Amino acid sequence: MGAELLDARPALALLVSATGAGLIMLIGYRARLRAWLAVGAAVLKFVIVWSMLPGVLAGQVYGLTLFEVLPGLALELRVDALGLFFALVSSTLWIPATIYALAYMRGRQGQRRFFSFFALCVATTVGIAFAENLLTLFVFYELLTVCTYPLVIHEGGLAARRAGRRYLIYTLSGGALILTGMVVVQHLAGTLSLSGTGILDSIDNHAALLAIFVLLVAGFGVKAAIMPLHSWLPAAMVAPVPVSALLHAVAVVKAGVFGLMRVVYNVFGVEHMRVLGFAGYLGLLAGFTILAASVIALRQHNLKRLLAWSTISQLSYIVLAISLLTPAATLAGIIHLANQAFAKITMFFAAGAIQRATGKTRIDELDGIGRQLPAVMASFTVAGLSFIGVPLLAGFITKWYLSLGALQAGSGGYMVVLALSGLLNAAYWLPILYRAWFKPPAGVAAAGNTSPLAGSAALSPMMLVPLLICAAYVLLLGVGAEAPAMPFVLAEAAVRLVFGLPGPAP
Amino acid sequence: MRALAAFADWPHLLPALFLLPLAGAALLPALLRTRPAVAWASALAVALATTMLAVLALVRLLGDGDYGYAMAGWAPPLGIELRYDRLSAITLLTGALVSLALLFARREMTGAGRRQAVLYCSLVLILLGGMNGFVITADLFNLFVFMELLSLPAYALVAMSPARGAALAALKYLLPGAVSSLLVLFGIGVLHALTGSLNMADVAVRLTPGGPSPATVLALVLISVGLLVKAALFPLHFWLPDAHSAAPGPVSALLSGLVVKMGVVGVVRMFDVFGPALGGAMQAFENLLLILGVLAILTGALAALVQHELKRMLAWSTVANIGYIFVGLGLAGSAAVSGGIAHVFYHGLTKAGLFLAAAALVERTGLHDIDDLRGLGHRMPLAATALSAGLIAVAGVPPTAGFVGKWQIALGALEAGRPELLVVVLGGALLALAYGMRVINALFFRAPVSDQVVTASEAPASMLVPSVLLVALALAGGLSGARVIEFILPFAESLGGR
Repeated sequence: MGAELLDARPALALLVSATGAGLIMLIGYRARLRAWLAVGAAVLKFVIVWSMLPGVLAGQVYGLTLFEVLPGLALELRVDALGLFFALVSSTLWIPATIYALAYMRGRQGQRRFFSFFALCVATTVGIAFAENLLTLFVFYELLTVCTYPLVIHEGGLAARRAGRRYLIYTLSGGALILTGMVVVQHLAGTLSLSGTGILDSIDNHAALLAIFVLLVAGFGVKAAIMPLHSWLPAAMVAPVPVSALLHAVAVVKAGVFGLMRVVYNVFGVEHMRVLGFAGYLGLLAGFTILAASVIALRQHNLKRLLAWSTISQLSYIVLAISLLTPAATLAGIIHLANQAFAKITMFFAAGAIQRATGKTRIDELDGIGRQLPAVMASFTVAGLSFIGVPLLAGFITKWYLSLGALQAGSGGYMVVLALSGLLNAAYWLPILYRAWFKPPAGVAAAGNTSPLAGSAALSPMMLVPLLICAAYVLLLGVGAEAPAMPFVLAEAAVRLVFGLPGPAP
Repeated sequence: MRALAAFADWPHLLPALFLLPLAGAALLPALLRTRPAVAWASALAVALATTMLAVLALVRLLGDGDYGYAMAGWAPPLGIELRYDRLSAITLLTGALVSLALLFARREMTGAGRRQAVLYCSLVLILLGGMNGFVITADLFNLFVFMELLSLPAYALVAMSPARGAALAALKYLLPGAVSSLLVLFGIGVLHALTGSLNMADVAVRLTPGGPSPATVLALVLISVGLLVKAALFPLHFWLPDAHSAAPGPVSALLSGLVVKMGVVGVVRMFDVFGPALGGAMQAFENLLLILGVLAILTGALAALVQHELKRMLAWSTVANIGYIFVGLGLAGSAAVSGGIAHVFYHGLTKAGLFLAAAALVERTGLHDIDDLRGLGHRMPLAATALSAGLIAVAGVPPTAGFVGKWQIALGALEAGRPELLVVVLGGALLALAYGMRVINALFFRAPVSDQVVTASEAPASMLVPSVLLVALALAGGLSGARVIEFILPFAESLGGR
């Protein structure tokens, strides 16, 4: 492993978006200025985060201590492969999401607050990714809750407030569980550091270890939407589309999953986890969630709610991958952080574009929408096929390695779960695709003025281009995963760190 | 730093800590009765000078460790002794900072006339002098005197409010206060009869051979009940919500932030006086504090959750936070005690800032109910943001001020082998977050329902500056919590002769 380097970049990456958020709040009264600030911060942060990639691939670790909050317990940042992977995904997606949001939110109320908190959320996500210890991770994790709350209730009204309240109750209770678990870890291990592979090795108290595992997994499981802790997520779909896209495909839910990864890989460590055998239960829960959420998704009529249930199901792919504790499964889990994010954000963008162009939100209204908005629906199709697991698309890679990992772990039964899930995915995505491409548009005859291209013309390129880019990435992740600039190498590096495997010569 | 250390060697530093504000308090109404602006400036100068003295005393402590002072040159068991330790240091600093902020906010004594403004400054200075004396004295009778000295201006300050019900609230405050003072006095009398001494360390030594005799236990019960009324520990908190919500804004800040904490300091001192003599029996006392603390957390937090009035909600939150402090003291491990004492400091700053911010909102609009204040965040963004940040800090979201103490208390609970207390400690924090979010929601995310909100404008600087500064200090203090805890740990480890 390379040397630990003191470097300001982790903090800079945080500061850029936090400053952006502050500036938008203070001076972002004019739309143009606001747009420049939002996009500028996004691009700058993207550059900073990517600039650390070569070093991290070479085995370098960047660290920085910010404040010492308690004796021996500081707010500290540290960039390792796993953290950088998560940060890359979120800071990359932030740019298209910001551009899309600028177009989507045009003419709506409260934009200053919206974009300010939008930027803050991504700052906190990077904080979560770069956290050196559980305390730092927790601080940003809670900040993320606080920052997303105004976005969830942005539309105002009773439904939004109810959803917001439910969101807060779920996530803050989850936070309290994590905090409790943290106190126990600190008491037993005397540290909360995440830079090694396991800090609880010396503890022999089985009951206490089980308590820690349950507390931390249940706490992070709320945002990871493991069933029965998931019900805030479909409700939170009242938020504007860019929020659902970025936060419920990338930031919030992935923060939960990432927290689980840190707990299993860095707090317990895979070896210790295997000996303890707790992960098996988590795997069963994940398997159940994958199937149950898909079955519920089959019965949805609203497109966004369908996306939410599909998210719940897809997240548990990652949770399952974490619980299997084999290198291949771990690789699948980490890659799926990116795969699911890009595919799901594509779908959300498409759903938002359809809503913006035609006002349609229900699935049974989508007849012939493919002819009306061909580019949008083409992107949607790519993402949908990826979820079904069609080869050459991102989702296939995940399934391949996940199946491999399940076999390695001797839990071949999960292959059945994966196969079933693929079928279920097909069962809810294919009808939509069929409707969109092969059914004649409803009411064209009645509303004669709707020419096939009217919708596309009304759609701003600022919405269309991010959508197409994300869809292209889903393809790229599937076809060229091994290409040098792709995150696959980084994920492999992360797996090597987790399992303590010797790396290839940098 | 070296220049400071030279000043810090001034021998009469300790008596000056309370003589200076008391002299100021006496001179202000005598000399400047007709010139409130000058009186105000002088009071501010006196408070500032006292803060400087507190800093100097701290500098000396960091160099030499704890130190004492014999009043008028009489050696300790005979004469009155002052002792400056880490607990004194931290409470002195809290007191000085908060009083400074409050004097700055004096203009908001709504309805107070020019003469009353002078009186207000004078009373705050008496209170400051009383507190400073209270936390540095090593003499039991002196402790009582200073306790009275800080209580009397507190009653008067509540009664000064022009609001309806202020007189009644002051009376409700005065009666339990007076009874508790008598109890403390009686207990001190018992101790004096037993030992013939009033010096705390000396009394502790002389009590030890007698062991846990009934008379010693009686003295402990009398004194601690008296002090716990002052500290408003459940179930002796009954007077607090009325008194703290009826008082004018800055006064509530003073009462909730500081005055109740003096009861805590008194109880901590009693650990040292009774610890050696009572030995194992002391554990029963600590257990009792622990149980009452738990009950206080639950009652305070639940009651705060259902309040309609903003200031009453904050008052109940004080009840809950006092509970945290006593859970820390009752657990008695060094981590927990250090957490409890750190919470005295952090909660003092935060709650004072919160009450000032709340007073700004309430007094600018004339509305008291949280639901009526809806939408005010857009009219008074700074005050509302200070209030929101304070509420989050008081709930103990890391890394804010409230987190440091609660974390140490939770760790202490595990060290003491009582993991079930985690549920209370963290559950209380969650409830605090819940009532905090309720206010934040109303201020920022709801549409206004009252005309006063729509026409309100931002509070004046005299009110904003102290509240924003106190909340900012509380937030920054949370980030450097390690230093505060490390400062207190030696004291926590030596408490009660352990």
